Amino acid sequence: MSTPGPERVPSTVRVGKKSGQGKPPAGPSKSAKATGARPGGGKGAAGKGPKGRKPIAPVKVSGGRNWGPIAVAGVVILIAAGIIGYGVFASMKGSQSWQDQAAGIKGIVNYRTQKNPQIDARDHKDGPLTYVTNPPVGGAHNPLWQNCMGDIYTEPIANEHAVHSLEHGAVWVTYKQGLAADQVDKLKSKVQGKDYMMMSPVAGLDKNISLQAWGYQLKVDSAGDKRINKFIKALRLNASMEPGAACSSGNTTTGPVQAAAGAGK
Amino acid sequence: MTLSADPDAAAPAAGGVNGSQPARRRRFGIGVLAGALVFGLIVGVAAGLLGPRLRTPGDDSPEAGFLRDMSTHHAQAVEMSMIAHANSTNPTVVNLAGDIALTQHGQINYMQAWLRDWHLSPTGSQAPMAWMPDSAGSVVNGLMPGMATPEQMVALRKATGKDLDIQYLTLMRQHHLGGIHMAQGILKLSHNDNVTWLAQTMVTSQQGEITLIDTMVKQIQAS
Repeated sequence: MSTPGPERVPSTVRVGKKSGQGKPPAGPSKSAKATGARPGGGKGAAGKGPKGRKPIAPVKVSGGRNWGPIAVAGVVILIAAGIIGYGVFASMKGSQSWQDQAAGIKGIVNYRTQKNPQIDARDHKDGPLTYVTNPPVGGAHNPLWQNCMGDIYTEPIANEHAVHSLEHGAVWVTYKQGLAADQVDKLKSKVQGKDYMMMSPVAGLDKNISLQAWGYQLKVDSAGDKRINKFIKALRLNASMEPGAACSSGNTTTGPVQAAAGAGK
Repeated sequence: MTLSADPDAAAPAAGGVNGSQPARRRRFGIGVLAGALVFGLIVGVAAGLLGPRLRTPGDDSPEAGFLRDMSTHHAQAVEMSMIAHANSTNPTVVNLAGDIALTQHGQINYMQAWLRDWHLSPTGSQAPMAWMPDSAGSVVNGLMPGMATPEQMVALRKATGKDLDIQYLTLMRQHHLGGIHMAQGILKLSHNDNVTWLAQTMVTSQQGEITLIDTMVKQIQAS
């Protein structure tokens, strides 16, 4: 009973190796197969060597027959590989994270990676606060946020409120006070009517335009810069530190925060 | 004869059934079998990976456009309702405003979660309403159908008493009409179960609220 094992293994191996050689005798396939089975059966008990070889011949023959299905399978595999390749490409492109999209914007500054406690702070504090960047991109802020329902503020707004809006996922578009009207109008068209967006002028801004999301900033010279739309698409809502937080019910006035008398919590 | 020969051959080997299997393997070949297995694995893995991705709407799909735009549209309803909820002295107005604010804020989060599930940004590359056919001209100053202008919002914030109630109900009625128009638009375009389910509930419940608002406006004006 130990013989069948070794008998089978080499025979199947040979089939694979010799399948190419099996092509020429493909002609007498039917007869070879029929006869092959019978002698194989007859000699089974007698000689193992010949038996091992003879069944090979019919297999070679059938291997020749299978070229059609193999070709079909090959084509199917090629098509599948194509679909898989495209699918992987498309899904990779489609599922690029917003962080990667943001990182791909030339000139963007990612303050989140700096681990600056003054920018990462998220506590609520009353009254005027100081920020390490202008305009600010994060840090402690007033309890009330600035309304960011596509609001167009024509006067500077309080950083203390605006930072809270960034925490809620808003993109804050700021421009140098006194920027040309056509540039301001272009920016306005990207903001008005859109929630999680707001816009205001900033006195003494070092560039014409600066965009802020929580922990991110991009400064550009022109309202026609294509990076503005990329910044908004990548970071609006995605940069929220409190998913689901609203932009409505916020402060709608402009001007600096009044010094709180008793700045209690 | 072949049938009887096979068991003969197999009997000394390993028994009838087992003996016939090597013969079949030889015919197909280990290479072909392995190829079929690998192919099956590749197809299975690919289908598992890509199936959900291919079935979900894409970045420029009507569904994605609807979810993004309706989120913005809903957000203004929440904004108006929170103003009325805070400032109105009429209990039925306070009640309706609270209902609308909570419902629509909740629905925004459904819509945002689906976009996230589909690996799509909350912000699209297309203009508002671009997903809806024949929508050209329906967006004025960035405002979708039914949305209140910034001037109307300023007036609503300042209003009090009966004036506030009428302003809120009038703006909300207009807002619902625009919202129903958009929801009906996606119902014509989409077969996505989630999206059509939510859109249908918007149509039904907002139509019901319009009837309620009409009744309330008459009552308040008569008072």
